[in-house]
Amino acid sequence: MIFLIARKEFLNNLLTARFVIGFLICLVLIPFSIVINIVDYRDKTVQYNVDSDVAEKAVKEIRVYSALRPEIVLRPEPLSIFSRGISGQVGNRVEIRIGDKPMLAAGKTAAGDNPFLGSFFSIDFVEIAAIVFSLLALLFGYDVFTREKEDGTLKVQLSNSLSRSRLLAGKVFGILLTLLPIIIFCFLFSAVVILFSKNVMFSAFEWGRIALLFLISLAYLAVFIFLGVLISARSRSSVTSLVLCLFVWVFFIFIVPNVSAYIAESFVPVQSRDNLDRVVNDMDRDLTIQTQERQKAQNLPTGISCWWCNWGDDGRLETYGNSRANFEIMLRKISISEPLRIEYADRKWAPQKTYLDSLIRQSRVAERISMISPAGLFRVIAESVCSTDVRAYESDMEQARRYRETFIDFLRNKNIFASYRYITAAPPESFQTEDQLIEIRSGGEFKTAREYYEWAAKQKDQYAAWRKISKVTAHGDQPNDFPFLSVSDMPRFQGRSKTIASGLADSAVPISILLIECVFLFALGYVAFIRFDVR
Amino acid sequence: MKTILKREILHNLYSLRFLISLALLLGVFLAGAFSYVKGHEAALSKYQIARSQYDEAMRKDAESNATTLAVTMRTFTLRPRDNAFIDDAKEKYLPNAAVYSAWNVFSFENKSGNSNPFLNKHDDLNWAYMAALIVSFVTLIFTFDAVSGEKESKTLALTLSNSISRGAILFAKYLSALATVLLLLLPAAGLNLTIILLAGRTPLTLALVIELGVFLVLVCLLAATMAAFGLFTSVVTRHSSVSLLLSLCIWLLFVAVVPNSSTFIAKTIYPIENSETIQRKIDAAFDDLNKNAPPGSWMSNSRNPFLPQHELRARIVMKRLEAEKRIRDVYYRNMFRQFERTRLWTALSPISLFQYMSEAVVGGGYPRFRKVWNDLHIYQTQFLSFFKDLDAKDPKSPHWYNPFEDVSTTRLKVEAAVVPQFAEQPMSAGDRARAALSFLLISSLGACFIYLLSFVLFVRYDVR
Repeated sequence: MIFLIARKEFLNNLLTARFVIGFLICLVLIPFSIVINIVDYRDKTVQYNVDSDVAEKAVKEIRVYSALRPEIVLRPEPLSIFSRGISGQVGNRVEIRIGDKPMLAAGKTAAGDNPFLGSFFSIDFVEIAAIVFSLLALLFGYDVFTREKEDGTLKVQLSNSLSRSRLLAGKVFGILLTLLPIIIFCFLFSAVVILFSKNVMFSAFEWGRIALLFLISLAYLAVFIFLGVLISARSRSSVTSLVLCLFVWVFFIFIVPNVSAYIAESFVPVQSRDNLDRVVNDMDRDLTIQTQERQKAQNLPTGISCWWCNWGDDGRLETYGNSRANFEIMLRKISISEPLRIEYADRKWAPQKTYLDSLIRQSRVAERISMISPAGLFRVIAESVCSTDVRAYESDMEQARRYRETFIDFLRNKNIFASYRYITAAPPESFQTEDQLIEIRSGGEFKTAREYYEWAAKQKDQYAAWRKISKVTAHGDQPNDFPFLSVSDMPRFQGRSKTIASGLADSAVPISILLIECVFLFALGYVAFIRFDVR
Repeated sequence: MKTILKREILHNLYSLRFLISLALLLGVFLAGAFSYVKGHEAALSKYQIARSQYDEAMRKDAESNATTLAVTMRTFTLRPRDNAFIDDAKEKYLPNAAVYSAWNVFSFENKSGNSNPFLNKHDDLNWAYMAALIVSFVTLIFTFDAVSGEKESKTLALTLSNSISRGAILFAKYLSALATVLLLLLPAAGLNLTIILLAGRTPLTLALVIELGVFLVLVCLLAATMAAFGLFTSVVTRHSSVSLLLSLCIWLLFVAVVPNSSTFIAKTIYPIENSETIQRKIDAAFDDLNKNAPPGSWMSNSRNPFLPQHELRARIVMKRLEAEKRIRDVYYRNMFRQFERTRLWTALSPISLFQYMSEAVVGGGYPRFRKVWNDLHIYQTQFLSFFKDLDAKDPKSPHWYNPFEDVSTTRLKVEAAVVPQFAEQPMSAGDRARAALSFLLISSLGACFIYLLSFVLFVRYDVR
């Protein structure tokens, strides 16, 4: 009997304008979202390849360890085609520095090269599915009892030996049967587009996740079908039911997700980024002072002349052509400064973590408020399934922080802060005294450094004085005299592991809530229909 | 016609949809008011801290010497607007700061910390959001069955059997929908405004009253457009359920599809060069300048301002600045053009049109940033003239202008009070009108066209 009723409902619905229009909406919107997001994913992949090449080149084309700062480029998530989550709002590059722990990834966001495009919002498959599936479920469910009551057919049906439970089950299955082809079409169409797209390659992991997303979509659809049934069973006329359903739809789909983010933004404060930058800058200044004081305590001069020097941030110093004494001073200085830099990175991490935690807390609050709506729940679950949520991002960043520790251990194991390889590619045995260097560079015109400096002090044109000791280029004066450093033994970053179950533990709660909502709404609908006055 | 209008308004007022719409609007406006008061206070306090640091840094640089004052790069940040409760114009996602010195306006940025990257992009609960989302929806809900619904209930034929023209009936229905929407909006907006004014952070000025008035006119225009679409779906179909489906499709197209395809349109139809290419161009220009630079141009290890190499270096640094500025200015112009052209595409949606007009009326968003950007360029030339005048008066200065170093120009201190300061000037009425005019024209023509189309279809409508 249930099957008979379901079949009748299905055939009735199939002939209605709402089925045709609903199917057309999916036919237009789903390809639209999939194509847009495939193009976006292709752009991200192109950018990833460019960034990876640059990062790889930067590691290969260095001569000293102080310039070795590997950059992690996070691979774009293929499932972002279905749910973008926060993937378009965060960068994909993490520079591993010894003086800072990775906090937020740098790099381009979805706005790309034009920051003004950041004010445009974008839509993905999951958002379109959340809008369209819920609308269709409500449109097929709003008059499930009221229409038959208005037509007078409900009385006739119930005058037979047909229980209300069976009638309800038959009608619910009928709606589900009607909507199932539309949902299957949406997923199949997306799968076909992805299969034929040369820009996307899905592995078993991604296909498994899409299957999971399909099952969650069914649960989401069921929630709205039961909601429609409940509203229909509690309304006296189809018009009332329709108006209620539409307002419930707008409230759950458009208002709650937006309100949740806005309320969280207003009432859950985030620490000021300017303030964090100030605190970190103060610590950096303190680091400089501490370094200078410790170097002074070791009787090391503050300034030092340098023949060829390339200074950079995070302790980068590449130098050539100096006297042995100067090289020694530089090495002693870095053996003080670099361990201190690592120590200060740990100190800076405390305020940075507080800031990061405040960002995460705010997003969690928004997420929890949005779970009032089944659409909010669906989005949260989908982002988790597609690994584009804050947790997946934080997991990547945590891996990056762990990799930094591994990288520092790698440097320490080489005792690199006490090695000339940190600042120069020139072997220590090739270092010469200043007198020897002046004699070589002046072509023998000056025998000692003292002789040259006494002469230079009398000159008005300092550039001309400098040219006197640049007549002859000694071997080892320039970086090009040395080959690139081989860092094949450097540990490489391993991204987070991808298994079907990984990262899903966090979505267990929202999935449970969605299922409980299903059961609860069905129970309410059932009770409401049992008490429904069919006259 | 008056009778029909009165009947329609009363019919709407007594309907369930009116009650639910009112409850929804009151709820969202209430939540919006409290959230705005809290959020705006925090934003203002953050801004004030940043502003005092900006002023303090400028004062210290002036006390140090005029060259330090001129070459130091500063970031001018826009103040959170007091009328953002009407429309925040998505300013948290737009660049809100510009980096400049006396020598150049270098770049713009979305100052970090402006929005949480872990929060999904969202609109603030301001009046523009309520209008764009709720008012547009409610208007369609009040009009989708204006004709088809009456046909189903057989009252349309009865009405037309009286001596009243079809045009008058349609117009009365149209006006009644607009009146109902205004009756819904005004109490909710009034409540919102009262809470915000009572919180004491936003003063009620004449300018604000005018902005509110013009904004309400724009809401009426949006409602008029959506009502025309609602009537159109009602006269184009014979059943109210089909009208409803069509109305919802149109609404989804305007609210979700067109505005959300903007980034795709921008990147696909109006691509611009990427930042890596621009950097390569700048590097190539720098290499070229370096190759042709006289020997010793980069020698800098002396604090003697009259060292001849300082002049050589100042020249090459100035040339580099000019070369980079030329490349970057073209790049920025392309960004502006890409954004503006994309917005024209999204003008297909009356809701996007409304948002663009609204941001112009409140003097915010993109037009505000463009004005600040242009004004900052004017200020930068004034600031540079001020510095050059100071330098010219200093006999101890070699007058070798170097935009990035404080070596070879005046070392005199400056009184902080006499240093020209940049202050953001609110957009004038003329600026706002210019920014909104084209969108206003498109929107008005669109509304008229759809209404006329509905009228023609209604005249030919079979009421049996």
